[in-house]
Amino acid sequence: MAAADAGYPSYPVWFLRILLATVRRELAELGRYRMAMMVRVLTFALGVLSLYFFSRFVGAAPNQHLERYGTSYLAFGIVGLIAMELQHVGVSVFAQRVRMAQVMGYLEAQLATPAPPWLVLIGSPIYDFAAATLRSALYLVGASAFCGVSLQRVQPASLLLVLLVVVPAFMGLGLLAGAATLLARRANPVAAVMGGLSLLLSGVLYPVSVLPAGLQSVAALLPLTHALEALRLALLLGASPAELAPHVLSLGIFAAVLAPAGFGLFAYGFHRARIDGSLTHY
Amino acid sequence: MISARDLGKTFRPPGTVRDLLRGRLFGEPRVALANVSLDVAAGEIVCVMGPNGSGKSTLLRILAGLLSPSTGQAKVTGHDVRQQSARIRREVTLVVGDERSFHWPLTGRENLMFFAALCGLSRKQAGLRVADMLERVGLTEMADRRFQEYSRGTRQRLAIARGLLGQPRVLLLDEPTLGVDVRGAHEIRRFLREHVAGQTGRAALLGTNDPGEARALADRVLFLERGHVRAQSSPDAIERFLGVSCGQS
Repeated sequence: MAAADAGYPSYPVWFLRILLATVRRELAELGRYRMAMMVRVLTFALGVLSLYFFSRFVGAAPNQHLERYGTSYLAFGIVGLIAMELQHVGVSVFAQRVRMAQVMGYLEAQLATPAPPWLVLIGSPIYDFAAATLRSALYLVGASAFCGVSLQRVQPASLLLVLLVVVPAFMGLGLLAGAATLLARRANPVAAVMGGLSLLLSGVLYPVSVLPAGLQSVAALLPLTHALEALRLALLLGASPAELAPHVLSLGIFAAVLAPAGFGLFAYGFHRARIDGSLTHY
Repeated sequence: MISARDLGKTFRPPGTVRDLLRGRLFGEPRVALANVSLDVAAGEIVCVMGPNGSGKSTLLRILAGLLSPSTGQAKVTGHDVRQQSARIRREVTLVVGDERSFHWPLTGRENLMFFAALCGLSRKQAGLRVADMLERVGLTEMADRRFQEYSRGTRQRLAIARGLLGQPRVLLLDEPTLGVDVRGAHEIRRFLREHVAGQTGRAALLGTNDPGEARALADRVLFLERGHVRAQSSPDAIERFLGVSCGQS
């Protein structure tokens, strides 16, 4: 990419500087809110512990729906919760950041700088998504070390492939939600609807195969359904990239549709915000 | 540096339930600015005065490229505010006194380092520029204290330092001494006189409610009322227009 302008760095360099500055800012803030971080870790640990005991209860009887994953309910459920959190971050964090920046007053000051608005706006969500991915990896390692979840069959190439299509699909949804927030000047309704539907239909806590046929068809229209299946196959069964092809293709289609639609709608939302003044009023 | 002709802004708020029932998507339009024309030359400080809701902030935000005008045209450093807002943000800074625009748990230096990255500076360049700006506004000793510990005046000085990070040619300041005590306000005005206009060749447009501030800083004053220009003259003449008298601050 060409240099942005005389005296200014190229967009990739500029983006990297903003991203690093965002990471430093977030870590500095995190360091000053240690209690909040500890509560968050504790909440997840309590969730995993509940899942562990629930797993002992479910695992006491043979379960035909879990057979194809060749693992315990605990491993199945943990991957479900992790993917659910990744979707939640992808879908909601952009809208949350935009809304918070509007309400708290950061948005105007940051958009008044020479940085292009899209560079200003995507730094924080990317940090959040990276942090959520890192947290998920740590949870998995913790579950493996303390709860006996086996990760010996993980296929790194397959996992990477899944993440490469999951991230743009979820971020596309996130941009749509962010645009809705800018246009409606209200908290994000997309995340709540997506979260509820996904928990019910995508196979977070139980396999999609337990749903009636009609609902299974609806579940196939949700990105999380494919993301979860692909993640479980790559993490728990060591599936090769070729074996994941149907799910990766579905996620690729979601990404190809949602990411440009999200960018387009967000650009329109930003244009409208400059006209109706909602960058500065809320 | 700044040239505006017949600038106008009308806001159309989202419709209430009653509006929607009447088949209207939007509420009653509200005229925030109407037919405003002004010019500001290099090295000049012009104050925009007027009561609350007179359109001062709207005018500054249009000139900063953050708000699209509904009518008229304006150019800042030769760039059209409607079409070239990205170019304008590279040469213009809007200094908002709004304390919420900073991250409170961070120190003054950390806040400025983040904004320096938004200005495109590398970490090394940012460190030098931030140290320079902190020194200029007299905050070097307080730089590593958290923003939430700062007084109102200190926060305003930090906002000005942030505005100068990108080395703008035009500075737009929205009530830079609002809520600051007399001594703090005097310090801020002295800094603005010495470092913002004058020899630096920068132009500044400053929104204020305070006739004393206008007298202390302005070469000219634009007086707005309900979005319309009611007078445009010297600070003395505006004081006579308003029927008030303020000593040099």
